[in-house]
Amino acid sequence: MRHGRFALTGPAVRSYASPEQFRPRGEMPRAPHNSEGVVMQRRQFLSAGVAATLLPALPLSVMPRPALAQAGGRTLTVGVRTGPESIDPHWSTLGGHIEALRHIFDSLVGQDENLGLQPGLALSWKAVDDTTWEFKLRDGVKFHDGSDFTAEDVKFSLERIPQVTGPMSMTLYTKRATGAEVVDRLTVRVRTNGPAPSLPNDFSRLMIVSHRIGMGPRNEQFNSGEAAIGTGPFRFVKWEPRGDLVLERFDGWWGGQQPWARVIRREIPNDAARIAALKSGQVDIVNYVPATDVAALQRDSTMEVLVGDSVYVFNVYFNLAEKLPKPVKVDGREIEKNPFLDPRVREAMDLAIDRRALARVVFEGLAKPMSQLMPDNFFGSSANLPERRPDLARARALLAEAGYPKGFEVEFFSTSNRLPGDSALCEALAQQWSRLGLKVIPNALTGTVFFPASTRGDYSLQMSGWGTLTGEAAYTYGALVHTKDAAKGFGGFNRANYSNPEVDRLLEQGSAELDDAKRRALFERATEISMKDRPMLPIVMPQTVWAMGKGKFAFTTRVDQETLAHRITPKAG
Amino acid sequence: MLGFLLGRLAQAALVMLVMSVLVFLGVYAIGNPIDVLIDPAATPDMRAALIRQYGLDLPLWRQYGHFIGNVLSGDFGNSFVFRIPVLSLILSRLPATLELAVTAMLIATLLGVPLGIWAGYRPEARSSKVIMAGSVLGFSVPTFWVGLLLILFFSVEFRLLPSGGRGPVGPLGLSIWSAQGWTYLILPALNLSLFKLGLLIRLVRAGTEEVMGSEHVRFARAQGLPEWQVVGLHVLKNIGIPIVTVFGLEFGSTLAFAVVTETVFNWPGMGKLIIESITALDRPVMVAYLILVVLLFVVINLVVELTYGFLDPRVRLKGGA
Repeated sequence: MRHGRFALTGPAVRSYASPEQFRPRGEMPRAPHNSEGVVMQRRQFLSAGVAATLLPALPLSVMPRPALAQAGGRTLTVGVRTGPESIDPHWSTLGGHIEALRHIFDSLVGQDENLGLQPGLALSWKAVDDTTWEFKLRDGVKFHDGSDFTAEDVKFSLERIPQVTGPMSMTLYTKRATGAEVVDRLTVRVRTNGPAPSLPNDFSRLMIVSHRIGMGPRNEQFNSGEAAIGTGPFRFVKWEPRGDLVLERFDGWWGGQQPWARVIRREIPNDAARIAALKSGQVDIVNYVPATDVAALQRDSTMEVLVGDSVYVFNVYFNLAEKLPKPVKVDGREIEKNPFLDPRVREAMDLAIDRRALARVVFEGLAKPMSQLMPDNFFGSSANLPERRPDLARARALLAEAGYPKGFEVEFFSTSNRLPGDSALCEALAQQWSRLGLKVIPNALTGTVFFPASTRGDYSLQMSGWGTLTGEAAYTYGALVHTKDAAKGFGGFNRANYSNPEVDRLLEQGSAELDDAKRRALFERATEISMKDRPMLPIVMPQTVWAMGKGKFAFTTRVDQETLAHRITPKAG
Repeated sequence: MLGFLLGRLAQAALVMLVMSVLVFLGVYAIGNPIDVLIDPAATPDMRAALIRQYGLDLPLWRQYGHFIGNVLSGDFGNSFVFRIPVLSLILSRLPATLELAVTAMLIATLLGVPLGIWAGYRPEARSSKVIMAGSVLGFSVPTFWVGLLLILFFSVEFRLLPSGGRGPVGPLGLSIWSAQGWTYLILPALNLSLFKLGLLIRLVRAGTEEVMGSEHVRFARAQGLPEWQVVGLHVLKNIGIPIVTVFGLEFGSTLAFAVVTETVFNWPGMGKLIIESITALDRPVMVAYLILVVLLFVVINLVVELTYGFLDPRVRLKGGA
């Protein structure tokens, strides 16, 4: 549901009315308390209904739409699928949360469109010894209240996170840090529990708040704006849970002048409603256009469609436990053995998948076949893993060799509402496997049911999406393919129960190797070995689509799918 | 009368208690809410710490005990997702849903009752047949689809009305005070009213047809009363009870479950809140919301029953009835 699986959260709710505005005095249909008879009763009906409500409605129903542009500069209205869960940037790691709050707050380390690191509030960083990172900070950065940004704020933000973060715990990105030390006004040192080469990647999601707010403020104080003081390009104006996030330009931003005086991020979770809002001119740009709407928008001469790669990959996980939670059936009878333990079975099922066809049919061409868990250009991705093409003859032979000439029957689970195309992909995969003679029963379930059951280990065969939001391999391979090891903090999402000592060794070495070239080589090796073992099958990477009025905006798509107002510029005219 | 009210209150309390137990058991049966809420990349340590922090490691009866204890002191707890008090989260959305539901019910009543009476009064007229055919469409065409058609027509094609959202909010958290507010309200309210409109037309027509043939209408006519008075007074009052009953039930369900319309028109009401809370297994919101819905239905039913007494003096309210 949240980032990591997919940033595309399902339905959502929004509100404009604040709690203070509410008075518990509803408009219940009152029982007429007058006993003078029917005529009186009828009059009440009429006076309450027609006069008070309907009459004013009729002449007004043809009011012009509210003008988007307002005095004092341009307004950008963005229709987004999900918004933040609070205004506290340390509350949640959810993709939509961080995306929204990047307008108000800056992260210590920046990321380019492909998640490569670049200077943010920190200009440079280096490891001074095995367990210490030193960050040199940007000079002259101002908070929205006019105060200076210094090393104190970095230290404060790091220490604040464990105290205030919610269930989507930000400590994910700070767990390696054991303490921070202010060296001087613009230098901060972070101590880590062992060598932590990916710390700068993790800190690309470390948002900096002002240390002047103190440890007290929580979500309420941030939501009211009282504590929502960042260094980002926009000041906070107002927000309600699942409502509009309204922002205004902060002229003192270190990143330079940008064009929008006012930005409204309107949360419209329903796809059809979001597209309608764009077409009716209520919003300027929308994100997460569903693949089925793309063709129609492309035909519309007033609309422009942008397609970008994402960091998300659909993966099929085999359960490699000795005993399956639900045994497979051969000829209708359950068997003791777990067929997935045989590499030939896994390879056969891989060879039965036609990834190009899936991308074309399920995603209307807006997806790319994958042969590893991360996009090809990420840190630790291997260049030696060619596209996997189907080979049914060989697949059938392998299956027969493994002792299943007539296949077997197994249930296959996936989410149904977490990411576009998930349930359709689940069914399409089951069909492709049926060509081998396997009887795969697809079960696409709501994430509410799927995730707890998946965590319990109830599934023999499952599929879900995973996004590499830090742009490097330790995040993904450490969680998905390293042996489950709570003490070392590895294998937290190892749904396959995969365990390969060689891969574990490479990942552990890589996670402690500060030399970039050596670390990259270690991760590449771990990627190659684990992908050839096939404990899980990467299927496709769905692309992300934005739509906007033709010729109105210039904007570079980002693989983390963020729609950042300060990266959108109006086109001349 | 007092006994009647007390009986009703006791009933309501019991239903609320049962409801909260059911939600607790239901969520427990689905699984641990933390597994839906948590970042998948989180380490097992982080997961264990969160489960402790939210008290989800305790046995279910103790979690429930904590909850009941807090509710009795007026605290429904904090939302897992937003970490703000559940009650203010729900109540902040009540005005939006309330104005939508009231407007929809008004449209349905003010159109449905006259049209239904006409169709019952002149069942053979061509206009009546048109009305009846329209009423079938009203409750057989899916709300979702009609909503999209309305948006396509009024917002995308002719750009007369906004496609969704809510206008500026005025006193009482309502958006009905400004013209702009109405531009946002009218389409979803119309969409929401169609089903009820169809239902009311059919109900009123059936009642009218029946009452038109009855003794007292004949007597009223024999008395020489003008026709409008016969229909508007004697007929309307006699078909009142089923109308008020359906009105009450429909009003309650409109308030509590206007989910489809709220989703299509992106209306920031309570229906969307509950759906999102269910998908996130945000148990505090689910429990509090359903308890409030029970309360709402009890209040509406109470009002409906009091109305019976007014409409038909033969109805006597008895304690615990």
